[in-house]
Amino acid sequence: MSVLTRKLWRTIGSTRGQFLAVAAVIAVGITVYIGMSTAYYNLNRSQAVFYEENNFADYYFQVVRAPQQVTRQVEAVPGVVKATGRIQKDVPILKEDHQRATARLISYPLPMDNEVNRLHVETGRLFEKYPQGGGIEVLVDPQYFDANLLSFNDKISIVAEGKQVFLTVTGTATSPETIITMKDAGTMMPDPNTFGVVMMPHNQADQILGLNGQINQVVITCAPGADEKVVAKQVKDILEPYGNLASYPRKDQLSHAILQVEIDQLRTTARFMPAIFLGIAAAIQFVMLGRMIKAQRLQIGVMKAIGYTSGQIMLHYTGYALAVALVGALLGALFGLGLASVMSSAYAYFFNLPETISGVNLTAISYGIFLSVVISFIAGLSAARGVVNVKPAESMRPEPPRGTGRIFLEKWVWLWQRLDPAWKMSLRTINRKRGRFGVTLLGVVFAVGLLVMSLFMNDAIDYMIKKHFYEEQHYDLLIRFSGPVKGYELDNITRLEGVVKTEPLFEIPVKIYLNGRSEDDLLLGVPPGMTLKKLVGSDEKPVALPEDGVLINERTAKRLGLRPGDRVEVETLLGLGPARWTSLTVAGVNRQLVGSGSYISLDLANRVMQESGVVSGAMLKVDPGKAGRVEQVLSDMTGVSSISSQRKELDNLNKNMGSMVYSISIMIAFAALLGFAIVYNASVISFAERRRELATLRVVGFTNSEVSSLLLKENLLQSLLGVALGLPFGRFLSECYIKGVSTDLYTIPIVIYPQTYLFSALGGVLFIMAAHFLAARGIQRTDLIEVLKNSD
Amino acid sequence: MKKNVLMKLDRITRTYQMGEVAVKALKETSLDIWEGELLVILGPSGSGKSTLLNIIGGMDSPSSGEMFFGTENLTRAKDQQLTRYRREEVGFVFQLYNLIPDLTAGENVELAAGLVENPLSVSEVLKEVGLESRMDHFPSQLSGGEQQRVAIARAAVKRPRLLLCDEPTGALDQTIGRTVLGLLDRINREQGSTVVIVTHNTPISAMAHRVIRMSSGSIAEIIENKNPLPAERIEW
Repeated sequence: MSVLTRKLWRTIGSTRGQFLAVAAVIAVGITVYIGMSTAYYNLNRSQAVFYEENNFADYYFQVVRAPQQVTRQVEAVPGVVKATGRIQKDVPILKEDHQRATARLISYPLPMDNEVNRLHVETGRLFEKYPQGGGIEVLVDPQYFDANLLSFNDKISIVAEGKQVFLTVTGTATSPETIITMKDAGTMMPDPNTFGVVMMPHNQADQILGLNGQINQVVITCAPGADEKVVAKQVKDILEPYGNLASYPRKDQLSHAILQVEIDQLRTTARFMPAIFLGIAAAIQFVMLGRMIKAQRLQIGVMKAIGYTSGQIMLHYTGYALAVALVGALLGALFGLGLASVMSSAYAYFFNLPETISGVNLTAISYGIFLSVVISFIAGLSAARGVVNVKPAESMRPEPPRGTGRIFLEKWVWLWQRLDPAWKMSLRTINRKRGRFGVTLLGVVFAVGLLVMSLFMNDAIDYMIKKHFYEEQHYDLLIRFSGPVKGYELDNITRLEGVVKTEPLFEIPVKIYLNGRSEDDLLLGVPPGMTLKKLVGSDEKPVALPEDGVLINERTAKRLGLRPGDRVEVETLLGLGPARWTSLTVAGVNRQLVGSGSYISLDLANRVMQESGVVSGAMLKVDPGKAGRVEQVLSDMTGVSSISSQRKELDNLNKNMGSMVYSISIMIAFAALLGFAIVYNASVISFAERRRELATLRVVGFTNSEVSSLLLKENLLQSLLGVALGLPFGRFLSECYIKGVSTDLYTIPIVIYPQTYLFSALGGVLFIMAAHFLAARGIQRTDLIEVLKNSD
Repeated sequence: MKKNVLMKLDRITRTYQMGEVAVKALKETSLDIWEGELLVILGPSGSGKSTLLNIIGGMDSPSSGEMFFGTENLTRAKDQQLTRYRREEVGFVFQLYNLIPDLTAGENVELAAGLVENPLSVSEVLKEVGLESRMDHFPSQLSGGEQQRVAIARAAVKRPRLLLCDEPTGALDQTIGRTVLGLLDRINREQGSTVVIVTHNTPISAMAHRVIRMSSGSIAEIIENKNPLPAERIEW
């Protein structure tokens, strides 16, 4: 080992405190990066593998009824790998508590072999074609199973073709199309109490549904590289005679579409958060390594005097930086993998994926290590270069003080004269050592900013819920009818005991077109003078419902670049009857934090559908004491297809936010850790740099606590300034983050409550104080003579 | 003694910019340094003697004037050339020893030995300065005098033609200081290195072949000493 290598090892040993502190900052950055990106990678892989293993369909075709043999014809189409014919039908479930629920029956041919959309049995066993004891065996989706407290061999009763049928539950199962179980896009969120997927053998399904030997759905997988549109066209031609109702590609399959949105949202978090952490770690690494190397200027001068070249010296100190990076990166990789495995299983749970793939994302690891090594290399090199370029004679003298030592405050004589000497000293020191002050300041700014960003999500969600559920939405129940009904039929509901007020609603799913681009949206026809729902504009001020034209929702407006006065083409997507085309004028923009929809008047909705006096649902205000009773009565009404209560929606929203809240709480922990590491680092370096100065003060006769309070004054100033800059920085980070994570389901507002600012500010001050306390302990331990004797 | 000129300084100046004021640390100074001589540069603090030494050692560059080492022109030498010059020709001894704290006595010497082609043996040199038994001690475990002897060993191990010492006894008491001076004297006599000692301590000049007296940034006088005293007999 060369002398320089030995020196490198010893320097690492003698500066181990700082070495580990900088390594810790790097490690936190790398941990978050590897942890989050690996978790995202695993989730993605889990999804892909699950789809692959269970032959997830590439295209769906819905027909009225067709003979089973038609699937062979479909399979013969070039580009189709496999076609499976089956029955899918929604039927009512009769629950013991009289609650209304819907079962989506899906039939499966047995044996299942390599059929499209195969089942994955999670618990219990697969149903049998002809069970020994007779009856009909089914599997249900795990969410329904859990929510309804079912056990194996329980019976559920459904109504099929007007008859009550009992089904025996043999276990739970999922498939790629039932990961997220939602009835339709209108329900907004899964509610396993009112909707479940029931899977059964085909031979039983066609019996109870009166479809003997027939199917009503064909699902296909396409060959890689096949043009799906061309394939779909040919299949549709084959199915035309059987009443081809609808066909859609995988991307429009509800479960997949929602899962994809959530996974995409996670990707934003998985990219954004680590970028912030890595960026901050890099900046800190840069600054700290720079200062540590500058502290060695005397040694560098000696080495130059002896005859070492600048290159050799730079290499030596870069070696130090590289060692820090390697230790940090390795620790980070280790913890990152641990974090990844915890997060991967948490995500699989949140997203209802049956299996977690706990892979090791080598790309993330090598990127992480590469990144930190490169940053350290540059940081080490640039810091060493700055020192090495100085003439050796100069670098062997202590760095000359800059400026006169007077500061701008001294111009305000009145104020300056009232400051005690200790304050004057602190202020002048800060002015003289701006670099050092800057490092600590930067640390506090980052720490406070990270805290704000991590905490603000809670505020935003809270605000969103308050605003949406308590201020803008005044109804308690929202009911939908099985089909459009005449408006006066609502009177029957209004007359129910406990119903305070009823207001009609006409929902029309549509595609909105502008200049060749299109967006899916939901038109909501509501009566003028509506009171159970408040419409607000982008500025959160109430907006009135236009008599004519559409109050378009903010997101659609943004995506299509719509402005008031624009004319858009609207195509209705209501499953019943032919699509209607209308053109509407954009009258204004409305903002809705949860859910989305564009508002028109009830009359206009009827005109769009070429109807008159028709509604599809209603908003109900209910006497709080009688809500349960009203819900029960409504459940028994045959024409009512769904009832959603504000309370249930709220519960669901909270559940849906689970994965995000989970990521956020992990981030808070890391933000606090990183924040403290930064501030602590800065303090340690600052203390190391002024050991002589502090020891001199002690020798002059200052007590430990006097010296300590001198430091405290500087630290206080740093905290105050750091907090003042960190709070807006945190808001800025939050804004960047939000841009990435808003979805169709909800728009997260940038709302930061004063408590969050206060808490973050306190956090920043707390970090400073803790770091100060640790540094102050160092003063007491200092051997004065030792410090003053040593020249470096 | 044959007077071969080892180093020639011709009207050298050095100006430092201190904020808005330009400080002339060295006014036009010319000096020839002879091969094999022991030169003492004497003067109070601020007289420019350290600046002169730093320029001679290639640690600093003159603001104007010309300087030659043998036939090599160092006046406008680039960093690379100066580094090579320091590495191959110059040994430095500082007032505060400036040993690398993370390296042992032996390693500090080795640090320098590794830079040249034909160094003396590290253990031999340490033996010469009487520290062979302390080879594995760190600077913090050595006394001031011992540290300075390690520093001399570190400078001598390269067999420099020019050994430059900046207040080598400034931080030491008289007895130990004499030992250190004795070492420098021996290196001058036995290895034939040219030794330049900067000091404010007048009695030390008694051991020199020539004494240069500096005041306010220029050479006040050059005194030739026909009978240099051995270091052991110097008193202060």
